[in-house]
Amino acid sequence: MPVDIISVNTFWTIWLLVHLILAVFLLGALTHQAVSVMMPVRQVAGPAGFVTRFRAVPAAGYATAVCVLWVLTFIVGSYIYTKYRIYIRIPIEQAGYWKTQGFFDFKEHVASIGLTLLPAYWFFWKNAQNPQYDTARKILTVYLAVACWFLFIVGHVLNNVRGFGS
Amino acid sequence: MSAPTATSRTSPATSSLASSTRFRTFVITFSIVGPVIYMICLQMNWPLFTYHPATNRFALGWEAARSGEGPNMTWYGWTAMTLIVGTVVSFLATLLPESIAKKIPLILVWLLPILAIPYLIYDLRQWWFHP
Repeated sequence: MPVDIISVNTFWTIWLLVHLILAVFLLGALTHQAVSVMMPVRQVAGPAGFVTRFRAVPAAGYATAVCVLWVLTFIVGSYIYTKYRIYIRIPIEQAGYWKTQGFFDFKEHVASIGLTLLPAYWFFWKNAQNPQYDTARKILTVYLAVACWFLFIVGHVLNNVRGFGS
Repeated sequence: MSAPTATSRTSPATSSLASSTRFRTFVITFSIVGPVIYMICLQMNWPLFTYHPATNRFALGWEAARSGEGPNMTWYGWTAMTLIVGTVVSFLATLLPESIAKKIPLILVWLLPILAIPYLIYDLRQWWFHP
C-alpha cells in the first residue's frame, strides 16, 4: 500500500472517487442509450429541443463502452468493498441503520446480476439490425439503465451516511 | 437545424464474434443462467470462497467469521461461482446442435433478471423488518 507517499485515507478516497467517476460515465452512457431506445427520434421538423438531442444519440456505439465501464466500475467497487465491510458497514449496523444496510446488500446483488447480462446486451447491440433481438435489446438496456441509477443512488446515500471524513 | 433521425440501428454486424452462431449461444445462455446461478448461490449460501478482510485470508467455500478476526465476506465467492459455473454451462450449450441452440427462448434473458428483483427484496427481508 503506497502509504509512504499519501495517507491511507487519501489512498482509499482516491479509489472511491475513481469508482464515482466511472459510475458517472456509465450512468450517462446508459441513460442516453435507454432514452434512445424508449423514445427513438424518427424525424424532426424544425429545430430540435434538448430532449430530442438527448435521445438522438448513436446508441449502438455505446454498447462496448457500457460493458467496459460496468466491468471497471465493478472491479474498483469490489476493491474498495473490503474497506467498506470493516470501516463503514460495522458502524452502520452499530447505529441501527438496517434499511441502509439492506439497500447496500441489494446494490451488490444487482451489480453482479448486471455483470452477467453484459454479454447478451453487447451481442444484441452488435446485431441491432436484426429485429429478432429488438425486444430483448430494448428491455435489457432499460433494465441496465435503471439498475445503474439504483446502484448510483444507493452508493451516494451510503456515502452521505458514512463516507468522506467519517 | 434538425436532429438526426433514429440512430439505434447500425449496419449488419461485421465482427466475427457478433456474427458467430456459437458465440450467440454462449452469450445468451450465460445471461440466462447467470442470474439463476447467482440466486441459487445466494439462497444456498454457496460461495466459491470466503474472504476475511481484516486478516486478508481466503477460505474455500463458506467459512464463518472467526472470533477476533473481523467479519467474513461471501459476495466475492458468490460472484466468482456465478461467473465460473455460468461460463462452463454456456460453453456446454455451444456444443448443442444449432437447431436446438436456436430454440433457447430470448425472453428469458430479460425475464429472469426482472424476476430476480422481487426475490432479492424477499431475501433481504431481515433488513427491512429488523426491529
